[in-house]
Amino acid sequence: MIKKLRIATQGLFLLTFLWLFLQTESKGANELGYPVKIFLDADPLLFLTTSLATWSLDKFPYLALIVVVATAILGRVFCGWVCPLGTLNNMAGLLTRWRWKTAPLNWYRVKYSILIFLLISSLFTLQLTGIVDPLSLLIRSLSVTVYPMFSYATGAAFDTVYSTDIPVVVSISEFIYTILKKTVLPFQQPFFVQGVLIGILFFLILGANLVERRFWCKFLCPLGALLGLLSRYAFLKRSVSEGCDSCGACTASCQGGAAPDRREEWKNTECFICGNCDDICPRNAVSFGFSLKKPGASLDLGKRYVAGSILSGIVAVPLLRISPLMKPAYANPLLIRPPGSVDEKAFLQKCVKCGECMKVCITNGLQPTFLEAGLEGIWSPVLIPRIGYCEYRCTLCGQVCPTEAIQKLDLAEKEKVRIGSAMVDKGRCLPYAHATPCIVCEEVCPTPKKAIWLETVTVKDREGKEIIVKQPKVDLTLCIGCGICEAKCPVIGQPAIYVTSVGESRSKEKQLLLP
Amino acid sequence: MNRRKFLKATLISGIAISSPEILFPLITPANAAVKSDLAVARGTSPARITRAAIDGLGGIRRFVSRGDVVVVKPNIGWDRTPEYAANTNPEVVATVVRLCYEAGAKKVKVFDNTVSNAKRCYKQSGIADAVSAVGGLVSFIDDRKFRDMKLSGYALRSWPLYTEVFEADKIINVPIAKTHGLTTLTLGMKNWMGIMGGWRGRIHQKIDGSLVDVSMAVTPVLVVLDAVRILTANGPQGGDLSDVKLLNTVVAGTDQVAVDAYGATLFGMRGSDLAYVRMGSEAGLGTMELSKLKIKRITA
Repeated sequence: MIKKLRIATQGLFLLTFLWLFLQTESKGANELGYPVKIFLDADPLLFLTTSLATWSLDKFPYLALIVVVATAILGRVFCGWVCPLGTLNNMAGLLTRWRWKTAPLNWYRVKYSILIFLLISSLFTLQLTGIVDPLSLLIRSLSVTVYPMFSYATGAAFDTVYSTDIPVVVSISEFIYTILKKTVLPFQQPFFVQGVLIGILFFLILGANLVERRFWCKFLCPLGALLGLLSRYAFLKRSVSEGCDSCGACTASCQGGAAPDRREEWKNTECFICGNCDDICPRNAVSFGFSLKKPGASLDLGKRYVAGSILSGIVAVPLLRISPLMKPAYANPLLIRPPGSVDEKAFLQKCVKCGECMKVCITNGLQPTFLEAGLEGIWSPVLIPRIGYCEYRCTLCGQVCPTEAIQKLDLAEKEKVRIGSAMVDKGRCLPYAHATPCIVCEEVCPTPKKAIWLETVTVKDREGKEIIVKQPKVDLTLCIGCGICEAKCPVIGQPAIYVTSVGESRSKEKQLLLP
Repeated sequence: MNRRKFLKATLISGIAISSPEILFPLITPANAAVKSDLAVARGTSPARITRAAIDGLGGIRRFVSRGDVVVVKPNIGWDRTPEYAANTNPEVVATVVRLCYEAGAKKVKVFDNTVSNAKRCYKQSGIADAVSAVGGLVSFIDDRKFRDMKLSGYALRSWPLYTEVFEADKIINVPIAKTHGLTTLTLGMKNWMGIMGGWRGRIHQKIDGSLVDVSMAVTPVLVVLDAVRILTANGPQGGDLSDVKLLNTVVAGTDQVAVDAYGATLFGMRGSDLAYVRMGSEAGLGTMELSKLKIKRITA
C-alpha cells in the first residue's frame, strides 16, 4: 500500500519536474509565467551552503524549510518520494535484478564525508555544492546534455522521413513533428560545450544502478546525507512484529540499504520510507507508525573520516584560490558573465551551476565553463557570443537563477548593464582590411543610440581604384557587450569584432574608461 | 510541398524577370480605367488607411482571388514593440491578412526570417497575436525549406530562398519604412532579405545588386508600405522613441521600385538617392519616376 502510493507520488513529482523543465523556455514574452525553479528553492543543501559561503540570507527559504521539517518528522521522504533524480535512479535500477543474498556494499558513509566537505568548504567561502547537489546536477545534465540529445535525435529522425519526399508519409510525420515542436521539443536545437563531459558523468550515475540500485542515493548524494542527519530523530518509525522469521526478503528490496532485517539495528538515517519492506514481507510483519521511541542503530561516521572530511574542506579553499585567474588583470577575458551577475567573487560563492540560465537563454549563448573561471567555477555560465549573443530586451537568466548569482533585473536596468565591451579586429574586418563594404555589426547593434558607428572612408583596392567603405567604430561609453555584433559578424570563425569582459559593470577592477 | 506548383511559380517568376509588364495584364481587372499606380492613404487608424490604400488601387479583389494561398511578408526582424517602428505595424499586417480572407483566400501565411530571436520578435512586435486573431497562419522559419535558387546575377547568381514564398499563389510585401546604415533606407525591396537563408551578413558586400536580384525573383502582387511610424535614425533596429516619426501613412502599389521611390520621399529623399532603387529601375523591375505615375491620395 505504502509502496503504491509512493510510486504514484514519485511519478507525479517527476512529471511536475520535467514539465517545469520544459517551461524553462521563452515564449517571446518578458516573463516565463511558471515557477520553474521551485525544486531548487526546496533544496536545503543549496540554501545552507550558499548562505554559509556568502554569510548572508538573501531570502527566507520557505520551501527548503518545509523539506527540513518534513524530514525531521517523516524521515527521508524527499529521497524516496520526491527527488526526481532518485526516481530516475529507481527507473534505471529496473534494468537490473535485486541482488539476493549477496552482501550489499557498505559505502554509505561516503556521502556524509562529501556533505561535511561541502559544509566546511562553504563555511570558508568556497561553494562547490552545485557540482554534486542532486537537483543542480540533474537540471544541468538535462539542460546541457539530455535535452539537446533528445532534440537532435528526434529532429534527425523526422528530417530523414521528410527528405524521403513520400507524400502521405511525410505529411503524417510532419503533423506529429509539429505537435512535438509545440509541446516537448525546444524551439531551436541547443548546443553546449561541456555537453559530453557532463553527459558522461550523468550516465555514469544512472549506470551505477547496475552495480547497486540507487548507488548514487545510498553512497554519494550530499543532500541525502543532510536529510539523513535531519531524519535521525524522525517520529515516523518502522517496527517489526513477532511474526518476522528473518527470511531476509526485505534486505534485498531495501532502496536505501537501511538494514531492515536487523530490527532494532535498522538504520533510520538510510531509510527512504519507500515501503518496499512492508510490501514484500511474506508475513506482513513490517509496519510504519509515529513513535517517540529511541531511534535504531546509531549513526557512526567514524572520527577519522569526519576529521579527514573537515580537513579536506579546509584545504580545498586555498588550493583552489591560488590560481592567477583570481587576479582581475589576468582573469580570462572571454569570461563574460550573464547580465545582472554579481561581482566575480560573490558570483562564485552563489552560483550552484544548475544550468537553469543556460536552459532558458534564448540564443543558446550561455554555456557552461570548463576551467575559464578556475576549477571553483566549473560549469558556471559564460556567454559565448559566437554561439549566441545576449538578447537586448531579455531578462530571463536573472529570473530563473535560484541563488541570485544573476540578479533579477527589470528591462530598464538590464538595458544599461554592461557585460563587456566590443572591439574591432582591423586585420580581419572587411572595410578595414579588405576594401569591401560591410556594416552588419552596426546594423544589429541594439542600443538606442548605436554603440557602433560608421566612418565613411575612401580606400584603394589592389588596382588603385578608390572605393568608399564605412568602417565600424565602437563607442565604449555606449557598448554594453551584448555580443550581437560578434554573433552576426560575417567573418566566420575568428570574428572581426568581438567582446571581452573589460569594462563590465559588476567589476570595479575591470573598468576601462575614466568616468 | 507541391512540386508542380513550385515549378509553375518559378516559371512564372522567370517570365516576370525577363519582362515584368507581361504579368500585369493577367492580374488587372477589366475596369482598368480608374487604376492608379500608387495609392497613399493618411489617417489616424492604421487599419482604416491600410484598407483605404488598397481600395485606392481597385480593392483587394484585384490582387487576391477565391481559393488563393497568400503569403503576406511583413518585417518582423527585431525584438521591438510597435511604437519603436522597427517592425511593420501589427494592425497594418492584420488588416492585409483580413482583406485577403475577405477576397476569399484559402490560407494566408505570415512569416519572416528574423534577425533577433524569432520568438521574441514575433511576440514583441505584436504581429503574431494580431495576425492570429484574424485567422492568419503565423509560422516560424523552418530551415529545411530554403532552396538554392537561380538569381539574375547583378550581385548573386544563386542564394537559398524560402520555398513557401514561391509555392504561394499570391505574395504581398508589407514592409515598414526605416533608415539603414548601408542602404540609407530600408523599404520594400530590402524586406525580401527576410526570405533569404544562409549566412545573410555576407550580402552587404554587394547589397544593392543583391536586393535587386532577390526582388526580381519574387513577384508580389501588391506592396503595402507601412509608414504609420517611420524610423528616422538608428535604424533598422531603432530603440529610441525620439527617432520615431508619426506619419500616419500607408502606401500601396504593385510596382516594387515605384513604392520604394515614393517611400524615399517620406524621408525627404528621392528614389534615385537609393542605389538599389536606381539599379532596380535600370534592370526593368519597375519605375522610379514618380512624375510619370498616377498617384491617388486619400485621407481616411
